[in-house]
Amino acid sequence: MKKIWMICLMLGSLPAFAQQEGVVVTYEKEHFWSKIYDRLTFLSEEERSRIKTTWGTHDEGYKTKGQLFATASESKYNDLEPEADGGWRGRVSEFMVYRNLDTERKTEIEEFAGKTLVIDDSLKAPSWKVLNKIKEINGYMCMMAVAEDTVRDAKLTAWFANDLAFNTGPERYFGLPGLIMELNVNDGEVIFTAIKVEKKPLTEEVKLPKKMKGKKITTADYDKTLKTYINDSMKSHRNPYWNIRY
Amino acid sequence: MLCIPYYCKNVIISYNLYSHNHQLALKKILLLLCLCLFVAVAHAQTGGRFTLKGVVGDTTGTGLPEATVMLLTPKDSTLVNFMRTNKAGSFEFKGVKRGNYLLKITYVGYLPYQQNVVPNDGDVTDMGNIKMTFMDQNLYEVVIKTFRAPLSIRGDTIEYDPKAFKVPPGASVEDLIRRLPGLQVDQDGSIKAQGETVKRVTVDGKRFFGDDTKAATKNLPAEAISKVQVFNEKTEQSRLTGVDDGKHEKTLNLQLKDSHKKGGFGKVAAGVGSEKRLEGKINYNRFNEKNQFSVIGLGNNTNQGGMSWDDYQDFKGSQSFNWGDDGDFGFNGGRYIYFGGGDDESITIQAGSGAQNRGFNKNWAGGANYNFDTKKTKFNTSYYYNKNTQDLDATSRQTNFLTNSAFTKLDTNGRLNSNQNHRGSLRFEKTLDSNNTLVLISNFRFGNGTADYRSHQEYFRGVQDSTQLSNMSDITNFSDFNSFAIANTAIYRHKFKKKGRNFALSGGYNVNNSEGDVRQRSTNQFFRTSQTVADSVLNINQTNHTKSLRNQIKSSALFTEPLSKKFVLETFYNFSLKNDEVDRDVFDNKESGQVRNLNLSRYYTNNTTFHRAGTSLRYSYNGLNLLGGIGWQQIHLDGKFAVNQDDPTRTRIDRRFSNWVPNVSLNYDLKNNRYLYGGYNFSVQEPNIRDLQPIVDNSNPLYITMGNPNLAPTRNHSFNIGYNHFNATKFTQMFFGAYYNLYKDQVIYSQTVDENLVTTTMPTNISGGRSFNLYGQYGFPLVKTKSNLSVNANYYNNKNLTFINGELNDTKGNGYNGGLRLDLTPSDKFTFYANANWNISDTRYSLMSAQNQKIVNSTYGAEMNVKLPKEIYFNSRFNYNRYVNDRFGFNQDMPILNVSLYKTMLKSKKGEIRLSAFDLFNKNRGISQSAYQNFVSQEQVRTLARYFMLSFAYNMRGMSHSVRRKGYY
Repeated sequence: MKKIWMICLMLGSLPAFAQQEGVVVTYEKEHFWSKIYDRLTFLSEEERSRIKTTWGTHDEGYKTKGQLFATASESKYNDLEPEADGGWRGRVSEFMVYRNLDTERKTEIEEFAGKTLVIDDSLKAPSWKVLNKIKEINGYMCMMAVAEDTVRDAKLTAWFANDLAFNTGPERYFGLPGLIMELNVNDGEVIFTAIKVEKKPLTEEVKLPKKMKGKKITTADYDKTLKTYINDSMKSHRNPYWNIRY
Repeated sequence: MLCIPYYCKNVIISYNLYSHNHQLALKKILLLLCLCLFVAVAHAQTGGRFTLKGVVGDTTGTGLPEATVMLLTPKDSTLVNFMRTNKAGSFEFKGVKRGNYLLKITYVGYLPYQQNVVPNDGDVTDMGNIKMTFMDQNLYEVVIKTFRAPLSIRGDTIEYDPKAFKVPPGASVEDLIRRLPGLQVDQDGSIKAQGETVKRVTVDGKRFFGDDTKAATKNLPAEAISKVQVFNEKTEQSRLTGVDDGKHEKTLNLQLKDSHKKGGFGKVAAGVGSEKRLEGKINYNRFNEKNQFSVIGLGNNTNQGGMSWDDYQDFKGSQSFNWGDDGDFGFNGGRYIYFGGGDDESITIQAGSGAQNRGFNKNWAGGANYNFDTKKTKFNTSYYYNKNTQDLDATSRQTNFLTNSAFTKLDTNGRLNSNQNHRGSLRFEKTLDSNNTLVLISNFRFGNGTADYRSHQEYFRGVQDSTQLSNMSDITNFSDFNSFAIANTAIYRHKFKKKGRNFALSGGYNVNNSEGDVRQRSTNQFFRTSQTVADSVLNINQTNHTKSLRNQIKSSALFTEPLSKKFVLETFYNFSLKNDEVDRDVFDNKESGQVRNLNLSRYYTNNTTFHRAGTSLRYSYNGLNLLGGIGWQQIHLDGKFAVNQDDPTRTRIDRRFSNWVPNVSLNYDLKNNRYLYGGYNFSVQEPNIRDLQPIVDNSNPLYITMGNPNLAPTRNHSFNIGYNHFNATKFTQMFFGAYYNLYKDQVIYSQTVDENLVTTTMPTNISGGRSFNLYGQYGFPLVKTKSNLSVNANYYNNKNLTFINGELNDTKGNGYNGGLRLDLTPSDKFTFYANANWNISDTRYSLMSAQNQKIVNSTYGAEMNVKLPKEIYFNSRFNYNRYVNDRFGFNQDMPILNVSLYKTMLKSKKGEIRLSAFDLFNKNRGISQSAYQNFVSQEQVRTLARYFMLSFAYNMRGMSHSVRRKGYY
């Protein structure tokens, strides 16, 4: 086993398109809307508690799935189309996150509040604090790290697996020595959990797609737009979280 | 060795201190602790960057490759850099900013290692050989499985996570503490932490029953606790004096789970006003994780109606909304098999009916609700009582157009209605396992009431109401009724192993029983030769007793099968058998006594059997949902009627209607917040059994109705299409759409009016009626977040057909509706909302084009909210309604101004005192006007006008005060 990891590490530095050792991770993302509503500052205490008593006990989380392809140097995350269950199915909005640790660049495609944006910029990891807690997720021993998302004003709690040496995670989250197996936003408003981890060699899957349509924007501008949008929505007494990725 | 050597799921452990009674483990851990925490710290450093290196090995010194080495700041453990060790187990961080660090190393199967780094003066700081302690499988399991020691240390606080310590259900906190490593409970219940006696127990940081440490630990359930924390706290004395005497007391803090934060909230409001106006409302809700209990009571004579939606949600809690409880499957749900008559009271609690603007109403209501919710079982029961009395005086004027003439009716009437209902409900939902769910529902309603009706009616020939008096009637009716209804439903849902393959089955049994007595008295005078002395007089004095019983059994089944990732096939079957038994006994009250009226008395039974089977194919992918289906349905009416039960002659109605019913629906999420939807649907409505009976009902001598046994069902083709778009960042929104209905064999009521202006109506079928509606709205901010303008427009066109005295009258209506709405929300202290709406309806009659009508109704509104200093608020609402019909010289204005001034008070703004004035100009009249088929009418109702009110409210959740209107979120 150790040998394989060494090989994997060495292969990581080989030029692109060669087959590389990697992982395919399926994440389940749960939204607990009854908790998210608690963040709407314009609601009165009465309205917020009414939402909790009406919906709180039934809130089993709105579930979606995403898939991450990762090698030591690159990773790509996509949403998965929900499985047909006989009823109405919504559209999966455009979303892709590509990161390259070697070039320290990222490319993200996101449908944000009615526009498709392409964010092509340098990588910047959140400032993680690694704390003294361990738990096991899906057979992997994970350590806890916390960070602040200053743009969305959210508290992030990540659990990363040291023995999956991939500096990546679901959606935009990365920057830890191991793969992020679980990510919890604001004490359970949104929870990502790795439900399947599959080790296999990757080639094309992890590469940046050639066709990318959308408005080019920098991370700084994106953050600014997002922050303005959240502030404006709150001021206008609208729930901003329906229209953005939380 | 690098792969998954662990077997436990989702257990949180912390490795700073493993405190348990396994001696071996303890020793190792203590050793580790010493290594970690007591590394000597040398002198400070200055400037530049340095290289940090070291070699990670096991206790024998063999290098550990691929170990994770993290460099953290000592202050808050922020991750500065990380890397993996090489083949020999060595690592080297180059160019590290000079400063102190925390080095953290992890390697699977070994206890995590932590050490402070204080760089030396040189360029390279070598940590030397770092030895990691092997955590063998046994130890790991001891730690995680047996003791599940999930504790973490922050400063001097040791924190335990009770989730990992299994205690039996119902165990107290004391039982939990016994299991926590490092804590002991003595025989007398006192607690020792690390050998020291715990002096203080707090709950959520607050003292719990003074200094008795046992009160909380013995009484609180273990399952309510989210965290147990042990720390040293300053003594009471040092806290009081502010001088730290160095003495500390062991304190145990129990943190409650959010869900166990037992809660209660309630609201009470009462108001007293001029004109003898009173209102009051009280509600209280108590809840914990699994139980919700609430009560509500309200009463008013201010036309406020019953419960608002907010009251309803506070009352019903988690059981406020349950979808699919009717158990009717297939397209359009239970549209064809719904239960109850058109004007029956609902069997479930009705909320949000809003204010009543007709007459004077008194409302009383009260009830209690209990919910029990767990993941697997949900139970709800509620009782609700309401009573409404309405005192209503109205005057109306209606002109009916005939082939070559017209007549006008003036009606002055007074009504006094009273009714009360008791409603009960039970709902039980059980998740049998992950694939099977059972829902049982039972709702009942018991109601009774009285209605008193007095009316004076005058009929005039022509369109004027001053000359050519034709008839005059004085009517006095009194009715007394009671009813009982119960609806029971069982729904079973099963999910097969294959995702998307589902089966559902439902069954229902409903009963609706009602009984009523009506006493009808009227004097009808007919004038032909003279305007003052009647040519003939018809007096009616009748009593009728009606008993009706309806039973229904129904069942539905549904099966869905995914054909591929994008296609799902849905097949359904609906069945309903409805049995009606109606016994109506009408007696003429004569001086000699009561005589049965054989024309009006009736006894009938009717069975309506409904079958529908259908299938539909759904395509859903990437936001496009397209459904096409077809069903076949059959309605069978089998009725027998007679004058009386005793009457052996029964006339039979046996009609069977079979139809194919297609259905298409489209829902398309085009990217970027644009949505397109539409559909086509074909429906069949069977004729009402009363309309099918060839019986003449002359209980109103001026309006005689006849049945028609040859009626065919009404068939309706309906189409709709719409488009929505909103721009979330620009805050603009737009929607428009259209719908169209075309009727075949529509049941209409043809009219024959004789020379005495007595109208006889008979239901008949006619094809060609239609309606079309086009609507749109666009809203945009004038200044983002500060002001918003929206414009709406609506056009409709309809064609109504009626037979008037044997000739077909084609009434065409064209309606134009436009509106504007302006919201100004410049600050948290001032808001202003304005709106204007204009509605023009243009009605054209084919038989009498001279009578074409144009009715104009317009509404203007403005609302202003101001927050004044000292928590005082001002609100004013102004509404101006204008009703115009030039043809009749009808021109009415109704300006209504409401103002209120209120102040929040008490702690956390829980109280509010308010002074309000309603309809300051005293102009409120219930005015309505309309033109339809072959008539045009206006009505005015005497209703609650100006009054003043002083009210006080107390809300445990705080009175919410915002100058902003309540919106959707």
